[in-house]
Amino acid sequence: MAMRARQKIRAPRRGLTAGKTDDFETNWGSLSTSLKKIHTKDASDISFELLYRNAYGIVLSNRGSDLYERTKTLEKEWLDSQVKAGVTAAITSSLILAKEQVDVLDQANERRDAGERFLVAIKEAWEDHQLCMGMITDVLMYMDRVLAEHRKPPIYVAAMVLFRDHVLRSPIRADSKTTVYDVLESTVLFMIQLERSGHIIDRPLIRHCIYMLEGLYETIAEEESSKLYLTVFEPAFLEASKKFYQAEGRRLLETGDAATFCNTATERLSEEITRCTDTISLSTESKIKDILDNELIRNNITEVINLEGTGVKTMLDNDRIDVLQSVYVISARVDDKKAPLIAAVQKRIVEMGKEINASAIAASQASILGVGKKSEPNTSGEKKPAEKEKPVNQQTVAAIKWVDDILALKQKFDNIWLNAFQSDQVMQGAISSSFSEFINLSQGSADSRSSEYLSLFFDENLKKGIKGKTDSEVDALLENGITLLRYIKDKDMFEAYYKKHLSRRLLMKRSVSMDAERQMISKMKMEVGNQFTQRLEAMFKDMTISEDLSSGYKQHVRRASDPDQKKIELDINVLTSTMWPLEIMSNVKNDKVQLPCIFPKEIESVKQSFERFYLGKHNGRKLSWQSSMGTADIRATFQRSNGKTQRHELNVSTYAMIILLLFNDVPARGSLTYTEIQERTRIPDHDLIRNLQSLAVAPKTRVLKKEPMSKDVKPTDKFVFNHDFQSPFLKVRIGVVSGSANKVENQDQRKETEKKMGEERGASIEAAIVRIMKQRKKLPHSQLMTEVLTQLSARFVPDVNMIKKRIESLIDREYLERVEEDPPTYGYVA
Amino acid sequence: MKEEPMVLRKDQLEVSLHNEKKLIKEGTIKDDNPLDLSEPFRQLCDACRKGDLKVCQERITEGVNINARDPYDYTPLILASLCGHYEVAQLLLESGALCERDTFQGERCLYNALNDRIRNLLLEYDYSKSTDPLQPLAAHVTSLLTRETPKTSDIIVAAADESLHLHKFILAARSPYFRNKLEAAPETTTWRLPANIAPEAFGTAIKYLYFGEAPRDLRSGPGTGFTESEVFAGLDKIAKHLEINTLVDSILDSGDRRLARQRRTMEVAKGRDQLEEWFRANVLEHKVTVETSKADDVKWDRDNAIFADVLLRADELPEDLKEVLGDAPEQTDGTNSGNLTNGHLDSDGVTKSILFPCHRAMLLRSEFFQTMFASSFREAHMKDHLHVINVDCSPEVLEIVLTFLYTERADFSLDVAVDVLFAADMLFIEKLKTKAAVVISTLGSGNMSQAEAARTRGTEEDDLDIYAIIRAAWLTRVQRLEEFAARFLAYRLEAHIDTPEFSELIQESASRIQGRQETDSIEMLDDIRFYLGERFRLRFDDAGIDEMMEDETPQPAGGETNGDVDKVTEGVEAIDFAKDSAAPAAVTIASEQAPQEQDLALIRTLDGEIVVDEFDKDAINYQILMEKLDRILEDLNLDA
Repeated sequence: MAMRARQKIRAPRRGLTAGKTDDFETNWGSLSTSLKKIHTKDASDISFELLYRNAYGIVLSNRGSDLYERTKTLEKEWLDSQVKAGVTAAITSSLILAKEQVDVLDQANERRDAGERFLVAIKEAWEDHQLCMGMITDVLMYMDRVLAEHRKPPIYVAAMVLFRDHVLRSPIRADSKTTVYDVLESTVLFMIQLERSGHIIDRPLIRHCIYMLEGLYETIAEEESSKLYLTVFEPAFLEASKKFYQAEGRRLLETGDAATFCNTATERLSEEITRCTDTISLSTESKIKDILDNELIRNNITEVINLEGTGVKTMLDNDRIDVLQSVYVISARVDDKKAPLIAAVQKRIVEMGKEINASAIAASQASILGVGKKSEPNTSGEKKPAEKEKPVNQQTVAAIKWVDDILALKQKFDNIWLNAFQSDQVMQGAISSSFSEFINLSQGSADSRSSEYLSLFFDENLKKGIKGKTDSEVDALLENGITLLRYIKDKDMFEAYYKKHLSRRLLMKRSVSMDAERQMISKMKMEVGNQFTQRLEAMFKDMTISEDLSSGYKQHVRRASDPDQKKIELDINVLTSTMWPLEIMSNVKNDKVQLPCIFPKEIESVKQSFERFYLGKHNGRKLSWQSSMGTADIRATFQRSNGKTQRHELNVSTYAMIILLLFNDVPARGSLTYTEIQERTRIPDHDLIRNLQSLAVAPKTRVLKKEPMSKDVKPTDKFVFNHDFQSPFLKVRIGVVSGSANKVENQDQRKETEKKMGEERGASIEAAIVRIMKQRKKLPHSQLMTEVLTQLSARFVPDVNMIKKRIESLIDREYLERVEEDPPTYGYVA
Repeated sequence: MKEEPMVLRKDQLEVSLHNEKKLIKEGTIKDDNPLDLSEPFRQLCDACRKGDLKVCQERITEGVNINARDPYDYTPLILASLCGHYEVAQLLLESGALCERDTFQGERCLYNALNDRIRNLLLEYDYSKSTDPLQPLAAHVTSLLTRETPKTSDIIVAAADESLHLHKFILAARSPYFRNKLEAAPETTTWRLPANIAPEAFGTAIKYLYFGEAPRDLRSGPGTGFTESEVFAGLDKIAKHLEINTLVDSILDSGDRRLARQRRTMEVAKGRDQLEEWFRANVLEHKVTVETSKADDVKWDRDNAIFADVLLRADELPEDLKEVLGDAPEQTDGTNSGNLTNGHLDSDGVTKSILFPCHRAMLLRSEFFQTMFASSFREAHMKDHLHVINVDCSPEVLEIVLTFLYTERADFSLDVAVDVLFAADMLFIEKLKTKAAVVISTLGSGNMSQAEAARTRGTEEDDLDIYAIIRAAWLTRVQRLEEFAARFLAYRLEAHIDTPEFSELIQESASRIQGRQETDSIEMLDDIRFYLGERFRLRFDDAGIDEMMEDETPQPAGGETNGDVDKVTEGVEAIDFAKDSAAPAAVTIASEQAPQEQDLALIRTLDGEIVVDEFDKDAINYQILMEKLDRILEDLNLDA
């Protein structure tokens, strides 16, 4: 029974050769012969099974470690005796000598040929080794499996280590310190150097050598980081590249052409990326890029951008989009903020902006000089009242030109931004702030008229510019203006001007399209906010209400009055005084009360009739008549000396009507002096002079004759109705000179505007302070300042001193009180 | 219902169970756990209750459905895990027992697991792992469709403008159509199917033949040039053409997960059976017996009727060597070494070799052959005549290996298990190696319950040479077998501790460790100690072994002082001395070489001075055995 059992479970019946050393030697003998055959590429007839069985038998008899060591020794001997000799034989003196000095072309060629031969030798040695070791590993796979438990690296790995130590790291001559690897490294670097200077090299060959370095490790464990490529070759390559690009950078700077620099840098970048893909290793790509970025770009970019004559300034001036783009791209590589580029662009924008500013001022001054010695710009307008439809005022032209120039500049930089700067956000911000900078340059001083200019630009366009344009063109035009509005910091100033200009347009019915006006308002609303356009909208509302009112009144008159009476038609605009610009409302000029002018009785009765009608509707309101703003159509009969009569319909201002109606009561050919006219009408001097000028001086609309005939109107002048008035048209429009056209203000008006603006701002500031304090009750000074500034910044940039004054004033008026001294804190007095 | 990812509420579970039952009744789906009232299944269940590994293994090998249930709705796996038999549960799982979460039986199994160790084991084998045991075979055959090196294909089959590199033997095994055609013309190298078959249908059919899973959805509709119905028509046509009638069904069933799985299991099993049938009818039928000396001269033409592309050769061992083998195992090794060279002559004159005509495509499942055929050595070159490749094992074992490679079947008896183990190790066939280890460790009795089970069966359990097994385990690096051997020894330590083989074994184990320099302890000894603890702790568990140990301490201490006993071979005396000093009341021992437990118990009962119950007996036995182990170490000059 026991016997049977023993037979049943037994040790393997074959394969165990324990303790038989001679067997080991026999097995190893035949095995080693075969392994050598593998190396000599004579293996196709060897039986895998036989070799495997040999190795298996050895391992099973616990001699696995011996087998392992023997194999290693065999490999070592093979590498030492055969492989190394083959490799070192390919090393010629040119490869060793030329290690230091390069660049003599003959030598370079020679060295290159020798280098290629050497690399081929290395590559072949390596590939043979890999192939053979692959086969040997196959045969010894059982050994590897068993020894893996003994923490031995696979034989393949061990053999790779041997290759590293006995081929790569062996000295090329017995007495030399230079190793094969040193030669390999210097040769590969030399090849790359050649390629960088424009030669063609055998990329795949180098790639294979690099594969080898990537396949060899410093350590047995074969960690990714211990690849020879990473530990030895890559640092050397990077160091060489660093030197190369430092020199390259200096060379390019010396040639002094920014465009060349940028192109070269871009080319080098793509070259290096290709090199990493085709010649060396992809893992190096980011590192070599860093080298390029640092050595070639970062160190030189500022200088390049600022290069005289070829730098960014020139590129911007000449719209070199392509070069700018490469400047941008390489700047962006090294610096997210692109500081040098931004600085250069900003500087240029501000410079160009200043030029535009300066030329606008120059243009306006030139016009003053050109007209003559008149100090007031608006008098220059008087000179050519008849030249219709053209912006009469040089300064207005200058203003519009200013806006156009800026828009052109903006267009230019938008284009650059879009095409060259790849719509970069940071660049956009920088460009915007530069525009804002020069537009608001010396804001508050007499030079800055951006708000006014811009408003004039809109005025001009809404009056004439948009005639015959399509909706989309109009939209684009307005949009451009709005873009500039965005840059303007003192929006309240703009509002003031716009309101003033708008009011003229509305009252004089000069606007081409109400749709465009409305569109404009809604655009501004979107851009600046509700509050900003509130009053402007109120103005529109007044206009609509007035229309209804006029027609209502007409019906009223038709019903109430007897139809016989000579009818005077009245179109009326009732304006809410707070919403409209102050200056056209005020009766107060130069600090003295201006009495209302005396209307002829026909007119007076109409006026009173309307007042009754209106006040009947809205009790408790007060109407004050703005005769300076009105116009009238009157029919005038001219008695020619030959007895014929000629009728013309004259479109004149209200004042002119009053003046002309005076002549109804004057006997034919009778005259009135200036003083008489003034006494009878109480028209303010200023307006009277202007109206008389347009009636009596302007060449085409001389309804009155003046004695003596001169340009100026003096109190002693006499005026006679001119029955010989000639005009080819039935309807004659007699321009009320400067009253109707919006144009650049003169210095006095300007001061006036600023003063008003100051008051308004003061009120806004106070309102803001009170709003804030009411909410917070108690607030330190600095915090209050910040809050006020933030609240108001959408409308204008408040002056800090002004805020302080306002606070003082509020304390005086007991809205606020000082609560603490350190830090200074205010409290709200309820 | 099974796709539901979260745990179902009880009512939902009941509903789904009800639905499932209904579907099963209607025959729409197959019951995963059919009721089985057969006698072999009852035996399997009994064995699972008792933890009798050997019977389990035998029943499983017989082919009992291990996923069936008994009249009380228990499956063998539930029984094994409920009764806490880890090894049995492991065996069941490895043999394909299902324990799928979100099924009634699966959850029941998990819920009933006796301890966490078993529960974790069950979770490990949750559906993802407990796939069809045939899956590796199926995966290999499928991979042949795309495998480029080494080249194994021997026929190009084309339909329309698509052509595939295929294998005649698979086509012949799987498709009656091809079998007939290829029988008529085995040398064919290209085959053209009717041109009017949609490429999609052709590809699907071929994939089906190669055990591929049915595609989830067929590519049809815009862009492919074929409508769905055309593709199905094409499938129908090609299925008829190739005589593979279940193809269309398997694709139609692919929507429902459970149906698809059952269908797949069925298909793979069927495919395996076809392959096996073909394998037995062709490969095994055509094996050639020749004289060893002439084996290498056998010439088989490349164009042969069974499409073999390589010949494997195994040499028979002279019969009379077995007598020599009967001796000590160490000598066995030495004696057999001579067989390394072939053509061994025995007294009868000539040894025989058997040649098996094989297919590289299947041999590739062994890493050994894969490396061989992918290398640039002689065997990899295609010649007009087939290579004869020697495989260093007996023909019987080679047949087992081939059967496994072709069919995934690994049913062999204990007597060849060690040979199979070595062959599988040499040829790098891990699954077969595991299988051999399983056979050895289950059929050879292991732990207490088995020891008792064996006793109840009345067979002699010591029917295997445990020392040879351990050495085989070491050589082939099978941890499981080492553990088995340690357990085996621990449960029978009385019989082995005093033999010279045992101390030699310890010595060997120690030297292995020195070679490895991993730990300071001796692995074998640690394992034995562990199982020794297990063996006795089973008894002491509730009684509190620590207290008992304390009671006993003075006695072993006395034993240690008795240092003049150092010869291990004089184990009997050692026990005498130990007994003398350990218990003052101890008297002469029976002079049997290996005292049985009964003997020891008897001694004490006879003595009567010590409290005579089983616990005491076991405690003292434990002490004695531990002490002996220490002494062996001392004698061998080993630290542990």
